[in-house]
Amino acid sequence: MKNIVIPKPNNESLISQLGSLYNVFKGVNFGEKLEFDLSLLNWVIPLLVLPISAYINETQSKFKIDKCSIKGYLEKISFPNGVSSISSFQRQIQKYKTFIPISVLKKEEKVGRERLESILEEKIYETLGNVSGARSAVWYSISELITNIFEHSKKDSGFIFVQLYPQKGYLDICIVDCGRGFAKTYEEEKGLKLSDEDAISEVMKGNSVKKDTDRGYGVRTSKDVVCKALKGGGFILISGSCALVSIGEREKLASLPNFYWQGVIIAYRIPKPTGSVDYLRYVI
Amino acid sequence: METNKNQNSTTIKVSELLAPIINSRDVVDVLEDKIKKTDTESVVLDFSNVKFISRSAAHALALLKERIESRASNRKSLSFINANNDVIEMLRIVAANKIYPKNKKPEFNPEKIDISSLLKEVAA
Repeated sequence: MKNIVIPKPNNESLISQLGSLYNVFKGVNFGEKLEFDLSLLNWVIPLLVLPISAYINETQSKFKIDKCSIKGYLEKISFPNGVSSISSFQRQIQKYKTFIPISVLKKEEKVGRERLESILEEKIYETLGNVSGARSAVWYSISELITNIFEHSKKDSGFIFVQLYPQKGYLDICIVDCGRGFAKTYEEEKGLKLSDEDAISEVMKGNSVKKDTDRGYGVRTSKDVVCKALKGGGFILISGSCALVSIGEREKLASLPNFYWQGVIIAYRIPKPTGSVDYLRYVI
Repeated sequence: METNKNQNSTTIKVSELLAPIINSRDVVDVLEDKIKKTDTESVVLDFSNVKFISRSAAHALALLKERIESRASNRKSLSFINANNDVIEMLRIVAANKIYPKNKKPEFNPEKIDISSLLKEVAA
């Protein structure tokens, strides 16, 4: 079994965390069993810790946290298994107050999943403060990105993890699935053979694999709500061997050689809103 | 109580049947099953205590309304009450797009880069 030592991220920026994630999974054949060694870490953000959790759950890989200085934190967020029921979510929240655990959303438990997601979203709202439009803007992005997992990934579960940084004044959210990824979805649903880069481009142009009209807006509008309506947020989307990096108005498609994530990883940062947020103009 | 029936109408409390935030497209299936089991010609969806509905769920709800109201047999009328402004706005956006869809596709012209160059840019 390959041993992967998780390197300490250089800094707290989303792009730097993308670099750390890239280094963790570079050279990995997705699905192989690994042993993750978290001993070097003294802090993490969702973009690094959630994909590792999802991978451990997906492949029954092993992990070492005994000598890790953030062992207590990792236990508080229920790393790596997460919680999948309302009762366990509430128990964790009561016990650890400000730490929101990793949540595992199950496809077949429609109403249970919806209620767990609601509680999670309410908890996020508590941390944001009462700013007009902010609540719905944040809920919009989460709901559209999670519903996408169950619409397209062909996977029975999805992962979400949220971390608030009150001192730094922002919120990091990460949503992960280990499903098909965009390129395979286009191939299986529409017979299109696209590179990961082209598949991400099709998603961002709103070209849905579904036949209904008025589909294919979820990812693009969520990205716009995060980057434009919530002013200053950053948005990263990884599928296969490519990453879309949107910071403000700037967008880059980065190739990730020797890296492959089977599924989709979305991570974004939302600065704590200070003025009213008009998200609806980006949703239309 | 999720449902309340009077002479000709059944009212379903959406927040009690589903959740206070309606996120996913597929939970509308649960609502459809409930509506199909009613024995009245009119069904009212009561959105009191529903704080938000996603655009996907609103779209699924609009399609559900069309299906329920256009069936050849067991046709019912489906109406919505007590929705807050966020829910109303989302339902209106979906309805407007169904009637008058946008023809212009959004543009997407990102700069292409490899991860090493991107990380060097950030480090510089």
